[in-house]
Amino acid sequence: MQTLHVNGYDIAYLEVGAGQPLVCVHGTLGDFRTWSAVLGPLSRQHRVISLSLRRFFPEHWDGVGDDYLMAQHVSDVIGFIEKLGSGQVDLMGHSRGGHLAFRVACQRPELLRKLILAEPGGELDSSLDPAVAPSPSQRAAGIAVSAEKVKNGDIDGGLKVFFDGIEGDGAWARLPAAAKQQLRDNAFTLIGQVGENRHPYRRTDAESIRTPTLFIGGAETRGALAAVHGALAPYVPFAKTAMIPGGGHWMFEQAPQEFCKVVLDFLAG
Amino acid sequence: MDTRAKPAYDVPCILAPLALIPHPAEPPMQTLHVNGYDMAYLDIGHGPPLVCVHGSLCDFRIWSPVLGPLTRKHRVIAVSLRHFFPEHWDGHDGSYSIAQHTADMIDFIEKLDAGPVDLMGHSRGGHVSFRVAQRRPELLRKLILAEPGGELDPTLDPGAKPGAPSPLAARFAASAEKIAAGDVDGGLKFFMEALEGPGTWARLPATPKQLLRDNAYTLIGQVRDNRPPFSRADAEAIENPTLFIGGANTKGMLPQVLHTLAKHVKGSQIAMIPGATHPMFEQAPQKYCEIVLEFLAG
Repeated sequence: MQTLHVNGYDIAYLEVGAGQPLVCVHGTLGDFRTWSAVLGPLSRQHRVISLSLRRFFPEHWDGVGDDYLMAQHVSDVIGFIEKLGSGQVDLMGHSRGGHLAFRVACQRPELLRKLILAEPGGELDSSLDPAVAPSPSQRAAGIAVSAEKVKNGDIDGGLKVFFDGIEGDGAWARLPAAAKQQLRDNAFTLIGQVGENRHPYRRTDAESIRTPTLFIGGAETRGALAAVHGALAPYVPFAKTAMIPGGGHWMFEQAPQEFCKVVLDFLAG
Repeated sequence: MDTRAKPAYDVPCILAPLALIPHPAEPPMQTLHVNGYDMAYLDIGHGPPLVCVHGSLCDFRIWSPVLGPLTRKHRVIAVSLRHFFPEHWDGHDGSYSIAQHTADMIDFIEKLDAGPVDLMGHSRGGHVSFRVAQRRPELLRKLILAEPGGELDPTLDPGAKPGAPSPLAARFAASAEKIAAGDVDGGLKFFMEALEGPGTWARLPATPKQLLRDNAYTLIGQVRDNRPPFSRADAEAIENPTLFIGGANTKGMLPQVLHTLAKHVKGSQIAMIPGATHPMFEQAPQKYCEIVLEFLAG
């Protein structure tokens, strides 16, 4: 694959199309393949760069090591955009990748033209959610259970706990075999994720975003992911929100045409 | 770590006109220049090289579900044939035929310069891989044909009528006409249902549908595919150790072609995947990889 050497690690990426660069960051258990369903329409108008974060496929990681950290991945994406040498990029992140993209925009707004956050993951602190529960959150507890199963060799069992926790009971069983296998290919990253040290969002974080931002959600998404998205958007100064009818958390796989239309309109606007 | 290190280039002013931002001139993805065309490919893993050739309406992404297991043991190279995504082709100018794609694969393997490769093809890509093996066995180590597409001539099927257009060809032409007229989803629906029966398109999840849309215009090219039928002499000419893989539930011509060819390819093996149909490696990626890895290691 093509790689860029960033912070001592070769970050693999897929690049298709020509035009204004759009860098895409996958979420938990994803990799550069996560964006396959939208590469066609997006690459008609953009140079689309889909990267695999440190420790995700194409690396076959065993979960051993201490550099799977939110801060490390943020630093890696910043280094990646700099090494790309293409000037300002549009940055799109899904789920945990949306959290990352948000942090990149907080730290280095001058690297970005526009920002797209597809159901960014994470917790809210008390400045955004006065009713916030004491840590650890339900999500973090679920990750720990999943990781323990994966560590003990029960990969599908761990993935089921994780996936059903987001999309509801029975979601893993309904998932097509091809999608399951791509999650399996990244199962050991769940072990790293237990200690990733992700900080909750604060109102001042949201207010500091200077980049024109689009939040995209799946209209069917329930629980914490829907809440995060709804809580952040009102405080981000130049934010728009689009909900994809019929979509859940993986809305760009569930409704690729609608997702691409929303994204392309936003990027052209 | 210092996440606020100075960037390695001059940061353009936030309000700089976009036109001033340079874009690289080189083609995206990794490519090899083959018979005058930049063929894109994905290259992952280390070990003996395994080159993968997609079928009709697909591209390098079709192998996504098997990349993980296969790259643990092999350098996997998934190509996109001429005019498939990442190209956005309109179906008109340029060469699209079995002969062109076979010549491209031969040149690709030579340009790769990695010695003899294992070659795996699915559906129409299985047909192309078969023709590569027939013409240039010395370029290959082992051959894997996952439900290769094509027709049988009278030396393989005494009931075949040489020269008569196949019933599928007529349906493909009708699909291509719809697509050329702008009804992409209508053309794809017609095509999929000709292969796998009524309701196939409607049942397909949104992601595979979109990947087919990305390559819909290749159906216009495929009308002039000019695919010669397989003959007994063709099958007997294959020298490479060959594995045929199929889905146990695939209906129609494909299983007949698979079993007939296998009978005449010397020393070939057959593996049928229970519960699976034509896209068997998407439906049963673990079982598929187990079979492929065992064959390649043997």
